[in-house]
Amino acid sequence: MDSSVYQVYEDEIQLLEEEIKLLSEKYEDIQQESTFFSDEEVLMSAKLFQREFLREYKGYTSPLDLKAELESLERDLSFLMKFTGIQITSHSKKTLEKTVNRTVRKHKLSGNCQSLPFCLEFQLLEVQNKENVSAAITDLSIVVESGLCSELSKFVASTEEHGNLLMFFRSFSSYAEWCKHRRCTFLHFKAKYPNIVILPEGLEGDHIILRNPQLPGFELTIVWKVHISEEGTTTPVLDLLPKVPEQVGEQKKAAIDNAPTCFRSMLLLFGIETAIENLIQAFSLEK
Amino acid sequence: MEEGHNSDGKENALCGRSLTAASRDGGGRMSAVPLAQRKVEGGKVYSGDGVLGYLEMLEAQAHELGLKQEEKEQQEKKLDRLKARVQELRARRDELQAKVELQEKRLLDKEALVTDPARPSAQTVLEWKVKSIKGMLQVFYLTGISGKLTKQGVCFCISTAYEGTYLDSYYVDLLINPEVKIQRHSVPVFIPLEQIAKKYLQSDIRRFMSVLSDHLNAYVGRRHQADQLEEHFSDRIEGTLQRNSLCNLLVFNYTVSSDSKTFPFNVRLLYGNLCCSLPTEAILSCTPGTLPLLAKMAAAHSNTFRQMALHKAFDSIINAKESQD
Repeated sequence: MDSSVYQVYEDEIQLLEEEIKLLSEKYEDIQQESTFFSDEEVLMSAKLFQREFLREYKGYTSPLDLKAELESLERDLSFLMKFTGIQITSHSKKTLEKTVNRTVRKHKLSGNCQSLPFCLEFQLLEVQNKENVSAAITDLSIVVESGLCSELSKFVASTEEHGNLLMFFRSFSSYAEWCKHRRCTFLHFKAKYPNIVILPEGLEGDHIILRNPQLPGFELTIVWKVHISEEGTTTPVLDLLPKVPEQVGEQKKAAIDNAPTCFRSMLLLFGIETAIENLIQAFSLEK
Repeated sequence: MEEGHNSDGKENALCGRSLTAASRDGGGRMSAVPLAQRKVEGGKVYSGDGVLGYLEMLEAQAHELGLKQEEKEQQEKKLDRLKARVQELRARRDELQAKVELQEKRLLDKEALVTDPARPSAQTVLEWKVKSIKGMLQVFYLTGISGKLTKQGVCFCISTAYEGTYLDSYYVDLLINPEVKIQRHSVPVFIPLEQIAKKYLQSDIRRFMSVLSDHLNAYVGRRHQADQLEEHFSDRIEGTLQRNSLCNLLVFNYTVSSDSKTFPFNVRLLYGNLCCSLPTEAILSCTPGTLPLLAKMAAAHSNTFRQMALHKAFDSIINAKESQD
């Protein structure tokens, strides 16, 4: 009897073993993706688990292994959310396709970046190569509150087109951090100079107005926009818009026309906070 | 004399019996091995001629037949084992397939997430939660910065991607006490890690990670573009694409045609901004004397290289040329 007779059976055995592995993984995936337990249920189970273990355990050397693993993972996740500022409030995935080498999953994700909300969906294709697993994003769809910011909408459209999920997160985080920084700065100056600083659009707005009660009709508007290019680079752009009453003399007018340039130089030399501080000080002393 | 006759007769009778015996067992095969050979076999000394020699030969034959019989039985047993295993696996596979189909059917029937009607054990719930959190940590990998807390600090993982395709990831293992220090990392030597660390690591770890991530993503992006150019356009490039390890200096040659004549172009791409994956300079040179003719084309190509990703820019240049001709 020659070995080719065995080979036929051995080949089929290998094929069947692969199929079984795939099917059991598929079963586990669907089971995982279609179940949901709330945080309270998880907490209750954690307490119950230790008690149940005393009666019978399955596969763990001690009850603390599973609980310890859970706690360690929760710590890691909580740290990452705090560090990156990306809070994920809900995440669900669904396995669309699964073969020996390829897995396609659809993900739905929502959360906020430094309190700027986002909501997105994408498909993740994972292919098993010889050494590693390669991943690629397709069908990316992003929803953010862009408001009047047309730049943000353009940026989002561009990342969607190229499936650029990574760049979206990095740039959006950076954009959100700048917005947060702006909000904190505005709040700081409003608190320090409540009589001079006015927030016409509140803390979320992109400009503040300086008014000296002793100089009616004279206003300085500091505009602070956060630019985001299509490639994802975020830059703050600040400018000064003076408003002068008609009666002001020519000399003063010249000085005032020069103000925006001076402000921009101050920004480069001293940074944003110091420049604004100097401006407010100068303005409040103006007679 | 009588004895002699008798012994002859006995011998014949034995022969006759042995012949029939052989035909019953081995399917009629009788190993006609010369007695001389048998004498040395197995270190035994056969007596050679006569009845004894013959008996020994028969014994050897029977032994050999026995071995063959055993081998055949073993082969049949192995085959049976394999057949049985195949049956077993087929049954398991069918069972799993039915289970999965039932799951999928249930999902279609009720779209909302439903917890198992039979109250799940605490272990099941915890295992589910562990998998769920691992899923979220995988999402963080997709955002570009993920990591794990360690005993002495934190080990960050910077992932890189180019337009939706995830590429290499790099590790930076940080110690927190007494001050923030890099214990280990897998960042390539040509990335200015020390400079970046010196500037930001002590004061603002977030900024440090962000700047490092910019450098790594830009490097990987440039490398990927160069790889794509080589992969898809190797036939349109004369010679090979030359690049440095940081992939911020690329040089290659290609040909352009104008008025049905071909001219060689040499491109030198400089990426002055290490955090950017587009070149800051694209210097095109051609053979001296041909410049006045091709100046316009060279300028246009230079613009294209500076504004678009390398492989896309080259693709557009080639297609534009072809439409011109």
